[in-house]
Amino acid sequence: MARLQIEGLCKGWDFPVIDRLDLTVEEGEFFIVVGPSGIGKTTLLRLIAGLESADAGRITIGGQDITTLPPYKRPVAMTFESYALYPHLSVFENIASPLRARRLDKAAIRKAVTDVAKLLRIETLLDRRPGEISGGQKQRTALGRTLVAEPQVFLLDEPISHLDAKIRHELRLQFHSLEELRRVATLYVTHDYAEALSLGDRIGVMGHGGLVQIGTARDVFMRPRSLFVAQHLGQPAINAVAARLTGEGAALQAHAGNTSFGFPVVAAHAAVLARGDCGQVTVGIRPQHVRVLHNGEDAPGHHVIDAHVEIYEALGANGVLVADAGGVNLTALTSLERDFAHRQPVRLALQTDSVFYFHADSGDNLLL
Amino acid sequence: MSVADMPNAEIPGAEMPDWFVHKKPRANLIVARWVPAALVGLPVLVLFAIVVYPTVWMFYHSFQDTNMMRLFQGNWSFVGWDNFGAVLSSGRFGDSVVHLMQYLLFGCVLQVILGTILALTLYEIVRQEWLRVILLIVLVLPMMLPPSIVGVLWKFMLTPSNGAVNQALLNLGLVDKHVEWFNAGVSLWAIIIADVWNWTALPLLIVYSGRVSLPPAVYEAARVDGAKGWLVMRRITLPMLKEVIAIAFIVRFMDAFKFVDLVYVMTSGGPAQTSELPAYIAFQRGIREFAIGEAAAYAIIIFAISAVLITLFLKYLKKVLKAQGIA
Repeated sequence: MARLQIEGLCKGWDFPVIDRLDLTVEEGEFFIVVGPSGIGKTTLLRLIAGLESADAGRITIGGQDITTLPPYKRPVAMTFESYALYPHLSVFENIASPLRARRLDKAAIRKAVTDVAKLLRIETLLDRRPGEISGGQKQRTALGRTLVAEPQVFLLDEPISHLDAKIRHELRLQFHSLEELRRVATLYVTHDYAEALSLGDRIGVMGHGGLVQIGTARDVFMRPRSLFVAQHLGQPAINAVAARLTGEGAALQAHAGNTSFGFPVVAAHAAVLARGDCGQVTVGIRPQHVRVLHNGEDAPGHHVIDAHVEIYEALGANGVLVADAGGVNLTALTSLERDFAHRQPVRLALQTDSVFYFHADSGDNLLL
Repeated sequence: MSVADMPNAEIPGAEMPDWFVHKKPRANLIVARWVPAALVGLPVLVLFAIVVYPTVWMFYHSFQDTNMMRLFQGNWSFVGWDNFGAVLSSGRFGDSVVHLMQYLLFGCVLQVILGTILALTLYEIVRQEWLRVILLIVLVLPMMLPPSIVGVLWKFMLTPSNGAVNQALLNLGLVDKHVEWFNAGVSLWAIIIADVWNWTALPLLIVYSGRVSLPPAVYEAARVDGAKGWLVMRRITLPMLKEVIAIAFIVRFMDAFKFVDLVYVMTSGGPAQTSELPAYIAFQRGIREFAIGEAAAYAIIIFAISAVLITLFLKYLKKVLKAQGIA
């Protein structure tokens, strides 16, 4: 079975980029690597494709060690962030290029290319050159070139990040429905958390040196192992407030530094937090867990605080409100029906049972 | 719902708004009206004086029986197409066109081929950046010399009795007696050798810079696709450099039509006019022998041939570039 297995992979130039990275992607799995720019996601793909040589560690595909094989001997296909289409060749020839390199006969190439083109709905563009087609079509051509190679491992490097939002959404749907991708191990790199959450069977969040957390999208989003993971997934980003835990047992409170911002820790969390010695923490509250209350509304089970509006942005599906809550800026998601003026007083309801507590120094999630 | 049948809204607002339709042609200018007029006008005046006027003068005299004496006396007269007839019917012109073809084929084409091979070898084989730079400088040195000096140097080197080239050929045993480099039928080859030495660096530089600017991602894609070595060269590098190589050729091609310097210094077109090129004859007839009318006709014929060829070439280039979506 063609599972991709990476053990203790290391690569660095003037500083270590990938440090003892372990990862197994099963056959048929769609694995997403998500992480900020410049963290080494593309390097990871290039190591697997053989475009870079590993400093240490092993890469195996279906049990075969490919760590030192040249790229063309590896059963992998890769799409590049820049698509890397051959500008002087037609779409047909671009897709056919891996087959040409293998010296397949003409009829077989024609059939394979037309099949893939139909699948990707670019069959009418086969005679055009890359300069004459749109970004989304280029992306599909690049994808076609990898599909036609029938590799055991697909490497997709930010395949849809540079397209406009609408086409990105279309292609995201297409990725969901491409059976071809579901039969092999796919490693998909993106910096866009929404893509990661939408597409991945499992996702891996990449931090400095390697994957800081691997799990299902839901798991990683709901139970981030560290502040880094929590900050990277979600838009708008999670509210991170440096706070101090005071009191004991059921009376445990979180207070932010020199401000008046604070709230009681729910009993379930308090029980866990009490076990460790953690006076200083970073409190993480996702914007969707901060609700802006209507006049006179109360929110049972929530901690209600007074604040006033700093910035309000009405976006397409919802609004993003940044409010000053006793010296701490909190971001909240609101519905679009409401409008807010600068300095307008508001009441915020914190869903305190959904708050994360991270270690102030290491950033580890203290509730796990 | 599949991707194909997603509804798409029309993009509204394709008609032109009033303010745009009635916009004054010069409304974009934010300087006084005389500024653009002066900026364009002065260079046009200078160009007119040094380019347009002499060119028109040349066209005019190509239909006159102008020579040195008549020019000073101011009594030249109209002779119709006589000058052109004289040029085209002369064996001298026909021979020079044959020489030109020989020079284009073995001089220019060889320069472009050699330059391309050197450039790509340098890029693909030499891995150290510093070594590449040093080699580039060395290879480009001949181009830094004035052609007249190159001509003198090669005339020395090719001197039959004691020239360096013949000595080397004899010592290596490649020939058993002196090669008479400046005999009829050979002297044009001597010029071509000197010219290849002088100018191969130009296509080299052009192709090298073209190769440097090819996107590396394409080569990585090719490596993953499984293409290697010669296949990459044949299917990716050379096709992508097609236009660049074409431009290198066109530059040398244009120079061929005004190629006088080496001919003048090395052979003066001899012996017996066997190494003459059209531009050299025009120079010889006009500047040395003051047959100004005939020289003008020569110049116009050369101009016409090169204009036709270059127009065809540019059309081809435009087509290629358009197909790739560059232009």
